[in-house]
This record gives sequence, structure tokens and C-alpha cells, in this order.
Amino acid sequence: MRYTKQTIIKAKGLFCVLIFTILPVFTSCKTPENEVKEFTAFFTVEGSEISPDNELMDEIAKVTGAKCRETWLTGLTKEEAINQILAKGDLPDFIQGGHELYQANALIPLDDYIEKYPNLKTYLSEKQWDSLRQSDGHIYWIPQFNIAHVPSKELTHGQEAFWIQTRVLKWAGYPDVNTVEEYFKLIEDYINAHPDEGDIGFSILCDGWRGFCLENPPQFLDGYPNDGSCIVDTDTMTVKDYNTTDTAREYYRILNSAYKKGLVDEESFTSTYSEYMTKLGTGKVLGMVDQWWQFYYPLMDYFMTTEGGINYVPLPITISKDVPNQWHTATGAILDVSDGLSITVDCKEPDAAAKFVNDLLSEEVMKLRYWGVEGVDYSVDENGLFYMTDKQDDMTKREEYVVYRRCQYSYFPRIEGLSSDGKNALMSEQQPTVFFDDLPEDVKETFKAYGCETYVDMLGSNELPGPWYPMYSYSDSMGMDTDEGYVWNSMKELKARWLPMVIMSDDFEASWEQYMTEYNALHPEIFFDAMQIELMRRVENGYD
Amino acid sequence: MEKTASKKKFKIDWKEVKRQRFLLIVSAFFVAYGIVFYYLPLTGWLMAFENFKPRLGLLGSPFIGLDKFKFLFSDVAFLRVIRNTFCMGVLNLATTTVMAILFAILLNEIGNKFLKKSIQTISYLPHFLSWIVVVGILHNSLSSSGIINDLLLRFGVVDQAINFLAHPEYFWFIVAFANVWKETGWNAIIYLASITSIDPSLYEAASIDGADRLQKIKYITLPGIKPTIIILLIMNVGNILNVGFEVQYLLGNGLVQSVSQTIDIYVLKWGISQNDFSLGTAAGIFKSVVSIMLIVLCNHLAKKAGEEKLF
Repeated sequence: MRYTKQTIIKAKGLFCVLIFTILPVFTSCKTPENEVKEFTAFFTVEGSEISPDNELMDEIAKVTGAKCRETWLTGLTKEEAINQILAKGDLPDFIQGGHELYQANALIPLDDYIEKYPNLKTYLSEKQWDSLRQSDGHIYWIPQFNIAHVPSKELTHGQEAFWIQTRVLKWAGYPDVNTVEEYFKLIEDYINAHPDEGDIGFSILCDGWRGFCLENPPQFLDGYPNDGSCIVDTDTMTVKDYNTTDTAREYYRILNSAYKKGLVDEESFTSTYSEYMTKLGTGKVLGMVDQWWQFYYPLMDYFMTTEGGINYVPLPITISKDVPNQWHTATGAILDVSDGLSITVDCKEPDAAAKFVNDLLSEEVMKLRYWGVEGVDYSVDENGLFYMTDKQDDMTKREEYVVYRRCQYSYFPRIEGLSSDGKNALMSEQQPTVFFDDLPEDVKETFKAYGCETYVDMLGSNELPGPWYPMYSYSDSMGMDTDEGYVWNSMKELKARWLPMVIMSDDFEASWEQYMTEYNALHPEIFFDAMQIELMRRVENGYD
Repeated sequence: MEKTASKKKFKIDWKEVKRQRFLLIVSAFFVAYGIVFYYLPLTGWLMAFENFKPRLGLLGSPFIGLDKFKFLFSDVAFLRVIRNTFCMGVLNLATTTVMAILFAILLNEIGNKFLKKSIQTISYLPHFLSWIVVVGILHNSLSSSGIINDLLLRFGVVDQAINFLAHPEYFWFIVAFANVWKETGWNAIIYLASITSIDPSLYEAASIDGADRLQKIKYITLPGIKPTIIILLIMNVGNILNVGFEVQYLLGNGLVQSVSQTIDIYVLKWGISQNDFSLGTAAGIFKSVVSIMLIVLCNHLAKKAGEEKLF
């Protein structure tokens, strides 16, 4: 067949059409440099999503060239959510989940990116980075919290404590309360003096993994810091079990007698976390042991706006007066190496993702994340100090502000403490001016009565106990397929069952003996031996 | 498949097949549905014999034989969940069946048609509530300050509020009660239908013979619905281990965990929370096998007793 000129022209035309239709398809795959990249992230905690057209998110994107859509835990537990994601095999670009994801080969090593990007490199010290190396020698996650380059004065005790409502202290004339005995005596006296108010003396949160509020106070009462799953005796450098100490026995004996007097909320042991929070939200619960972040943030609005002395302050409680407390450990000292932000194997542009994290740590973006835009979200006074005018203060507390304007990327790495100007906190909530403006009257009054300025002053602060701290980062990462992990899990289940029974028991001594028999039958020494080995490893490596 | 089977036995030729082509096409859909959704997922049972890791996949994970089953039967916790599941299953089956039959008979005795219809409608409404709602209601009414304690206190039955959910010994009965409350009306429908199909002339004849209401129930109604009761019992016995998951999971707490956890919760705990899909699958296989055995056994017993049977 002979090609006529016409057919050739036709073919050429067709070819051109083809080229022009296909070409844009190829080019569109390549993101132009000025276009904003979009990442996805999943965090294994409950959180609130921010709107995709969040204003500060766009501001941050102007600087970093990227934004991130964050999703949070809903309904499932952390482990369930992670395993579901692993089983389905569609990982987001960023994820938080630690050891389990590493074992499933779902994470990429970050070492090269840490070397490449300066803000990441200086984010932690060389030693701290080394402490994050996994068994294969690489770093897979970046811790997000408690990292300050220039520490600022700590204002809030964001950790665990015996809390009490200010009205109780006020009524009693702000007495010194230093022991468990005095604490429950105070509650008892208050309830006896106000029989008609229907107050709940002491509530204990026992719901699932949150059950540490029930089981871990004995470690603090003996004057040890929150190693979480064991006590570290610094004299002998040995791991000790806080469940079986005389202090533990004494603490639960006091709880038992308080329960019999009707001071302990009897629904504690069957309530869910949300029922517990509802109870706190009525202002009727006089005291409890809890982590600040667990009860304060969900009820922040209520605490800030309600009068009548329903706000909680921490008390420096131990088992007896001669034991100094270690409820508060200076943050910045606590580096939780068990968890952090990771980049997954499914992330298409890991380099850009690492750059995004790097950019988020720059001071410019840190200000956008935690302060906003000068003149809009915050103001600067003549001394260069950041503060919020009343109007700005009101605005930033509104719900639509939180959804449509604030963009903290709160589970991405952040730098706490002071900025390089040496006077302003990088995070607004750590700025003294903002903190004192927001402090409710009853709390101010209480602080004044005890000669304190901040929550931390109520307890006193402690330095980092040692390079091993906190030991819970190890027990948290134990899998149930190891012996020690299995024992640890059985111990937790046993405690969740027996401690409420012991507290409610008519015959405390007999119940305690029985509890101890069952406890020892689990061979807890298997767990503590593993903890001892880890302790020695951490001491030898000597990371800080 | 049908073709070869049919050729051997019934000698059906192409003509017959052609004539029934519509039925064959329709049934092919159902066969395909069954294969895709019931038989193909069974390949997942392989996991129980492997040390399954999601990243390695079903075929890439190392084979470990019966190790997971060995662990399962040496785990005290698993033996405990078998006991819990079985006891709650039997208790639930017994109470819901008896209550449903009782309710159907009582409802049948009501003469006023409007009253009968409205009671029936109201009684099966709880069936449509999700368990999370029912558990919410239960949780509130059973708490120390809930309505049940309120009533008990006011009528002087007890002098101190009982925290029902804190007592392991009450837990199974609370679950059974919840099941009865939710399902009685719904389960009664099928018994009611079967009562209506009893020949009215039997009742007339009995009346003429001077039988009273109770005797009519005993000698006509109950024997009349006996086949229905037996068939439903056989079917439900196979479901005994499916005693559920939501109620126990949502109602349970640290104090009652030793009686509240069922096989399904165990599977969730190991399979999903602890990432040990293999162990979860092994526990699931155990459950299925026991269920099949139960149903075969029950069917066999019914056959022996000369009663209705399922297969």
C-alpha cells in the first residue's frame, strides 16, 4: 500500500494530538517547585482535626512549602489502630507508633535526613540521638515533647500528682498536707463539715490502660520519680518492685479505710474514662491521683470559667513526712525514647517530608504554630515581650479559632522553652504573662497562701534521676511474645482486678495476703530481671 | 458442579438444563457469593499454623505447625475465656428461648387484637437498638445511683446501694438479662407465627372436651410449636459460642475481667492489640470447630429422639 500525502498528514496530526493529550499527564506527575505539597499523618492519641482551610496552616505552608493533614485515634486503642493500618497496608506519610511499626518494617531510617537538615541535627544532642538508635543501629523516630534548648521556668506541673480542689484547702485554712494520711483526713473533715453538698471525696480512674492512677502511686509515695513500671534504687543500682512494698500495703490500707468511711467514690472501679471526666466536670470530686494532661485539657474550658474553688492544685504527698517527694521531674530532662514521629515506607517523598519537619522546627514556624501572626493573634509590648490583649485572649479561646485558625501540628516535634531572644517562650502556654493572665482566681489565691507562684512550686522540681530514666519506655515496648512482656501484662491484669477488691474488702489483711499470693504466683521476677538488664544497659550506655 | 452431580443421579439432559437456565444462572450467583465470601476467607486459617507477619504476607510467613495451639491450651486465660463464653452462651440461650416462648404464648392469649399488636410492636423495638446504646442504658441504671438501686432503696429491699457491675458473680446474669430485654420480643415473633398455624379446630375440640386455658396451652400450643422450638434450638446451639463481644467488652471492667472476657475478646486482644494474628486465628478456628461439633451433636440427638432435625 502506498501512503498518500494526505494519510501522512493525517497520521502526523493524530500523532500531535496524541502527544498533546499525553504530555500534560506526564508533566502533572511532577510537582512544580512552587506548589504546596500535602502530607498525611496519623497519631495514636485522641485529638481534634483541624479544618483543611485552616488559615495558619496556609501561612505555615508559605514558609515550608508543605502542609499536613492529620488524623487521630477514634474509638480504637493505639495497638488496634496501628495493627489495622499495618494489616490494610496503607500507611500515611507520617505516623507515631514506635517499636511495633519498626518491627513490621514500616518505617524508614532517618539518620541521613538528620545529618542533612540542620534543625533536626541540633534538635537533640548527639548522645540523645544515639539513645534513639534501634537494634539495627538506625534512628526511626523523633521524640516530640519535652525538648527545650533554652529551658524556661516551668509553670505547670504537667505530670502525675495527688490533686485537691482549692475550696478544700481554703476551708481548712491552707494547711500543710504532706502525707497520704493527712490528705484523706483533710477530705474526711471537709465532707463531714459539708454533709449536704453531695461531694465525692476521692475518685480513682481505673479504665483500661489508664489504670496507672490506681496502681502506681506507691512509687511516688516512697519518694521515687515516675519510672512507671518499677523503682530504681540509685544506691545499689537495682530495680525494685513497688507493688509489694510496705508503702504499697499502707497506701491501700488507707484507701480501704477511706472506702469504708465512704470517702472513695465506689463507682470508680466500674466507670469508664468518659464517665470519670463527666464526674470531674460537675466539680463535685474533691481529689484524685491523675496525670495533668489526662484530666485538665479535656475540661479546660470548665476549669477556666467556673468559680467556687473547683480547680485542682497538686500536693507534695509521700508516705511520711521524712520522705522527700519526686512528683515533678524537670521536663526537658525527660526524653521518652519509646515513641516519636516517624516517616513510613509508603511516603513517596521522604526527603521532602524530613525537610517539612526540619522547617517546622525553625523559630519562624514555631512562632506561627504556637503564637500565630504578630498583631493578629498576639501582640508585642515595648520590651519585646509577647502577650495577648484581652481581645486576642478571647478570640484564641473560641472553638472556631481552634478549628479554622490555630495550626499547632501538636504531635510534630517542637521546641519548648525560650526562643533565641532569651525572653519569650516559644509556646504561648509557657509564656509567664499568658499563664498568669489565665490563672483562675482560686488557684492564684492558693498559690499565694502557700508562697508559691506556679503549680511546680507547690511540689518543688527534681533533676533528671539518671540516664536510665524513664524505665517505662522499656516496659511499654515489650511485646507479649516475650516472657517478660507476658508476665508484665498478666501483672497489669491482676492488679486491675485485685486492687479494687482489696480497697473494697471487709477484711483488708486477708485480701492483701491473697492478692500477694496470686501476684507472686505470676513470677514477677521474670519481668524485673528483664528490667534490671535494661537498666544496666542504659547505665553503661550512659545517654542523657 | 451442578451439572456433573445432576448427570449421575437424575439423568438430566441438556434440554432440561436449557429449560432451567434461568434458575441455574440465578443460583450460580449465590454459589459464587458463597465461595467468595465464605470459602475464600478460610484460606486465612493458614495464619494459625504460621508465625504470621503482615509485611511477609500469608505465603511468606514462616510455618510453625501447631505451636500456636499449644500455647493456646496452656494459657490459663484462654481456658478461662472458654468457660466464660460457654457459660454465658448456655445461660443466654436458655433464658432467651424460655422467655420468648413464654412471651409468645402469653401474647397469644390476649383477645383484644389492638392491644396484642401494640404490645408486640413495642416489645420488639429494643431489637433495633445497637448494643452500645443498650450497654449505656444498663451502665446508668445499674450504677450505685442508678434507677435500679434507687428503687431497691426506696422499697427497702436493700439498705445500701449495690454496685452491680463491681461484682463478678452478677455479671453473667446481667448479660443474660440484657439479652432477654433486647431480644425477647423479636424472638417471640417466630413462635407467634407458628402458634397461629396450629389448626383452630384442635382448640375447639379441646374446649368441647372441657379443657381450660392452661390445659390447652399444655396439650395443644406447646406440642404444636415443638418442631419450631427444636429447629431453633439446634440452630442456636451452633451459635452458643457466638455469645457476642460488644456487651462483654463494653460492660466489663478490671474487677470482673475474669468472668467477662469471651473468646472473641481474646481474639481481639491477641490478634489486633498484640499483633499476633496467628494466635487470634487459632482461637477463632477453635471456636468454629467447637460450634460445628455442637451443632452436629445436637442434630444427632434430635434425630435419635425422633424429633425434627436440621440436616
